[in-house]
Amino acid sequence: MKNRTTQLLLFAGLMALQPNAQAGDLFAVQVERAETISHGTIEHAVILIEGDKIVMIGEDLAIDSGIPVIDKDPGWVATPALVNPYSRMGLSSRGPSGLNPQRKVSGELYTGAISKDVLEAGVGTVGLYPAGTGIPGRAVAVRTWGSGDARILRDDVYMKAMMRSDSTSKKTWRKGFEEADEHKEKETKNREKWEKDREKLEKDAKDDDKEKADKAKEELKKPYTPLVPKPAAAAFASLREGELTALIGISKSSDYVHFLDALGEEDVQWSLHVPISRESDLFHVKEQEALKDRHVIMTPAFSYHPGTLRRRSMAAEFFSAGAKVTFVPTSDSTGAHESWLRDVGQLVRDGLDSQAALRAMTLNGAEVLRVDEHVGSLDEGKHANILFFDGDPFAATTNLEAVLMEGDFITGEVDR
Amino acid sequence: MIRFQARFVLALVALALSPSLPAFGAAPLIDDEEAAAEEEEKEPKDRYLVVLGADIHTGNGEVLRDGRLLAKNGKIVAIGYDDFEVPGLDYDREVPADERGYELEILDASNVPNGRVYPGMVAFSSSGLLGGGGDYRDSIDMFNRNMLLGLAAGITTTGQTSSTAKLKRYVPGNFSRDYDFDGVVIGGKTLSTVSWGTAASKRSAREKLAGAAAYLRTYRQWQVDVKKDKELKEPSKSGVDSTMLAVLRGEIFARFSADYQDDLSGIARVAMEFGFRPVITGCREGWVVADELGRAGAMAVLTPRTRRSKDEQLVAEGGSSIENAAILHSHGVQVAIIPGSRGIDLGGIAGRDIMHLPIEVGFAIRGGLPDDAGLASVTTVPARLLGVGHRVGTLEVGKDCDLIVTDGDLLHYQTFVQYTVVDGDLVYDKQDELYFAHIRPRDDSLLAPLVPFDPAEVPIEEEGDDEGEDSEEGDDEDE
Amino acid sequence: MTLSAPVGEGIAIRCAKVLTMNAEDAVHAPGMVWIEDGALTHVGELREVPEGWTLREEDEMWAMPGMVDLHTHIHSGGFGDTNDMVHSVNPELRAHPALRPANRLVKLACASGVTCLLGIPGSGTNMSGFGVLYKTKTSGSFEEVVWKRVGGLKVAQDSNPARRAGTEGWGNCRASMGWTLEDVAGKALGSRREGRRDPALESLEKVMHRELPVLIHTAGSEGVVNTARMWSRKYDTQCVISHGSFDGWKAASAIAEWGVPVNHGPRTMDYFSSRNGRMNGTGAEYDAAGVPLFSLNTDSSVIPQEEFFLQGAMTARLGGDPYRMLRALTIHPAESFGLAERVGSLEVGKDADVVLYDGDPLDTRTRVMRVWIDGDLQFDREESQAFF
Repeated sequence: MKNRTTQLLLFAGLMALQPNAQAGDLFAVQVERAETISHGTIEHAVILIEGDKIVMIGEDLAIDSGIPVIDKDPGWVATPALVNPYSRMGLSSRGPSGLNPQRKVSGELYTGAISKDVLEAGVGTVGLYPAGTGIPGRAVAVRTWGSGDARILRDDVYMKAMMRSDSTSKKTWRKGFEEADEHKEKETKNREKWEKDREKLEKDAKDDDKEKADKAKEELKKPYTPLVPKPAAAAFASLREGELTALIGISKSSDYVHFLDALGEEDVQWSLHVPISRESDLFHVKEQEALKDRHVIMTPAFSYHPGTLRRRSMAAEFFSAGAKVTFVPTSDSTGAHESWLRDVGQLVRDGLDSQAALRAMTLNGAEVLRVDEHVGSLDEGKHANILFFDGDPFAATTNLEAVLMEGDFITGEVDR
Repeated sequence: MIRFQARFVLALVALALSPSLPAFGAAPLIDDEEAAAEEEEKEPKDRYLVVLGADIHTGNGEVLRDGRLLAKNGKIVAIGYDDFEVPGLDYDREVPADERGYELEILDASNVPNGRVYPGMVAFSSSGLLGGGGDYRDSIDMFNRNMLLGLAAGITTTGQTSSTAKLKRYVPGNFSRDYDFDGVVIGGKTLSTVSWGTAASKRSAREKLAGAAAYLRTYRQWQVDVKKDKELKEPSKSGVDSTMLAVLRGEIFARFSADYQDDLSGIARVAMEFGFRPVITGCREGWVVADELGRAGAMAVLTPRTRRSKDEQLVAEGGSSIENAAILHSHGVQVAIIPGSRGIDLGGIAGRDIMHLPIEVGFAIRGGLPDDAGLASVTTVPARLLGVGHRVGTLEVGKDCDLIVTDGDLLHYQTFVQYTVVDGDLVYDKQDELYFAHIRPRDDSLLAPLVPFDPAEVPIEEEGDDEGEDSEEGDDEDE
Repeated sequence: MTLSAPVGEGIAIRCAKVLTMNAEDAVHAPGMVWIEDGALTHVGELREVPEGWTLREEDEMWAMPGMVDLHTHIHSGGFGDTNDMVHSVNPELRAHPALRPANRLVKLACASGVTCLLGIPGSGTNMSGFGVLYKTKTSGSFEEVVWKRVGGLKVAQDSNPARRAGTEGWGNCRASMGWTLEDVAGKALGSRREGRRDPALESLEKVMHRELPVLIHTAGSEGVVNTARMWSRKYDTQCVISHGSFDGWKAASAIAEWGVPVNHGPRTMDYFSSRNGRMNGTGAEYDAAGVPLFSLNTDSSVIPQEEFFLQGAMTARLGGDPYRMLRALTIHPAESFGLAERVGSLEVGKDADVVLYDGDPLDTRTRVMRVWIDGDLQFDREESQAFF
């Protein structure tokens, strides 16, 4: 617990550092409780916001007079805005088949916008995945407002790969690595040749024939130009280097086992997307070691043990097995976003840990999209994307009172 | 097999105390240091499976009463009555499981009343048991319900369109072990369909065979001549049908789909003329021309319950007969049996799908097929047709450890498969799956009645019922 | 060989086991059955055979009464000629004009030990007409094989008639099917009450007054309860629920309380509807719940008539008691349809419908060796081509 005086001083210091901060850019919200997600719950939290960022968050922070304070303590609960890392909202469902890891969803952004209702439902960040089968391309993380490229938070956030129990899926996946290997080999040979040529040029540069020597000297100044890799080769090389991650879409347990077979010894970062069907058999894989601390994207839905009416919560099962459960709404419809909290609330009432559930709707999604340094939790320096509820976010009677996105209130009549 | 440990400690102690084993508490046979070293290298441990407590029907005529079977890494290494002395195998379990240099599973079937061990059955063909299509190595669904139901029905191997595969389930509760992808497909294409439906197709088949036979004659002459004249060129295969050539060379079976006696006679004649063994699926009127088919060395794949009355236009005998399999068998035709429906049928009409191979065999026995030929029709004969006879179909040293434990005569209508083992792994336990666990549950299961049911103690009304006698009837037949 | 014994002379069959299927569940081992003038004159211990009689020494054989199937469609020799699809209720229709005595399918039935069949119209309409009760003699005229021209009514109250019940185009939901049936039942009751003579309602009047039985096609738990409620609670009829498939068994204890018999088949297993993850032996469940006179059917040719015994075997496999299943194939169907005076068990005075097996009648490996119907040898494995 920080000393209040220190905090006050800190705050003064901050003001001094930012002399240009205008009164309108700076305000504070005091709430009964803030769920930071990254560092637990803060009772009687004060969140100081400047411009589009959170500049400070803590318990009972003293606020300099002159800074507008929205005091909603007791009453309100603040959480980070929601992050949906897997969506095609506003985009066509058509896409290519086969190996296309170079395709970018960011190139499709002109085609559609996201309904304002989604934003008003508290969803601030969306990951748009590439449509199609096989390996259809790379996702982009966008804001749920704005237009065109201005919406982009980060591009190339993950490469989507559909994995089914068939040789085509496995071959497609392996082909990416094969192309990367081929390129690497060609590149090595090319470099060797370049170096050999260089040796010759260096000899030539000392040649008595001045013209020849000058020409060689000129040549020697030229830097090495690497070969341009095939698109798939480049993508899979960056996958190996950890610059790109993969999101593996499976539909049943056997797809997962086949994926592990196709993956072999390759060391790449990957997350899993699993649809929760009425009779999902995914409980088979939940205790698999490779799933520990792995992001697993799923809808907040129950399924039944096959052939029975015995309800199973895949989310709770994966969570207790150590996976980072990450929720997405049950569909891309506005309604599904509006009922997203309620749907997750069902799982919470069924026994899923509520902190885990909130994290599954915010920070985990941000991690999948690799924008967790900007969104997904209430932390200093992060975007001021904050939801204000009049109670427990998962309680059926709770209202979403206000939505703040990058410092602007989207909804909620807020008296400063 | 963690769950067996507690239950079978006693059995193991008994085993260890038996005279043929080193005395209990004797120096462990396994070198612990070596085991530890192996562990470090992360070499896969040897997997042992011991099956005991039941009569072993090997499938080649032998029955070992209360016999024992030992498998190592999925292959049968011993069958007999002795306690197997395997260097390093520590029956007494002095060494804790995680310190052993090997894995040991003991399938003690003494909890199965009237327990019998049979080879896993081989379905000549089936649909949907593997959950995939095409290349089964890369498409098998190892969690598939139908595969589990196939295993529950005692099937461990099945023919597919162009390969033969095992029902390789993910070993329950053992996700940490790598799935044996390479163990799925155990055989390639062994049958090539020859069209025999129309006069034109018959003519064409005959011409192709004649062409292939002529080529073979030329080729054999060349083999002789080339020794004298090394310059002599090998005869050209151009225009020769490669399938028929493979048939005549015995590399592949020619498979005919035929039912009528005229067609069947024609197949027998063409097979005799060109010297190959035809495989005939359908073969409904085979019983009419069984002697011809027998002479031609034909093999038949049939469904005993097929029903079709004879063509009333014909004077000769014809139509289906319940005795078809029996008559063919008595003329030396090897018979494989397959039900009319090749998939798992959960629509509610019981006893007609791939889950009921033994029921289908029962109808052949009704028609006079001997019991051992009945078992062979769903084990050794289909295995041979699928080219995997050297690996599956019987329980013999060196073969794959694919077996089932039943609670009685396999061919009796009330008999259930209690355990199924594929490649030395227990992949089905009736009491562990919802499907059949509630039906006559084993005493060791949670579903067993609280008060053990003893038929002997149930008062029988005067003249008694014949239920008890039914099951005895089943027992007696194999004595 | 003579097919029938001359009057005054009899046949004595000595066998290893006689399964009488009588009320005491008597089994005589060894035992003897006497056939005289088409009827049974002795069933029980071995006796000295009267002079002039034929003694059949069948010392390896089991004798059982011929099986009785109440839900069959093979009387026409195929599957056609069983659904008149004009009106949604047809109390005036009778199946007997479609009967082809001793047709190919009937011969097969005989060769498998089935001796008595109710050939009924299909389930295309709510009330499709009256079934014909006949024996599976392998030869004989209409008069020689038919026992009752009007054997009982066929009603279809769930599933099939919902698809399309007559060209009138209604009756395709439970509400309208219920009304359609109550409407015509009410007319029949009124007709008798008011002394009207309506030929079209004549037989239905008898059904409504327990003078003729009714077999009702229904399925699923709601269907089974709806049907039992209407035909045993609302109306006092001699009704038998037929099929009762899918999760119908879940209503078994309810209808057992109401005392409504169930004639189960061709489905004897349920996985999808019951939703307990089990392969439910639905017949076994009905019988265990105490449904009176639980019996089985084939709905032949849905299941070939000659595989009637397999319905018992599969029900026994899926949890039923094998001996009870023998009753479900013989005396139970007979009793539930008011036929037990003549068929369903081996008892003195009943029709001499006797089947000899070389083992357990439920075992697929067991063969039917000889079949007598009304005292005449109709099938002999050693003489005839082995149909089955």
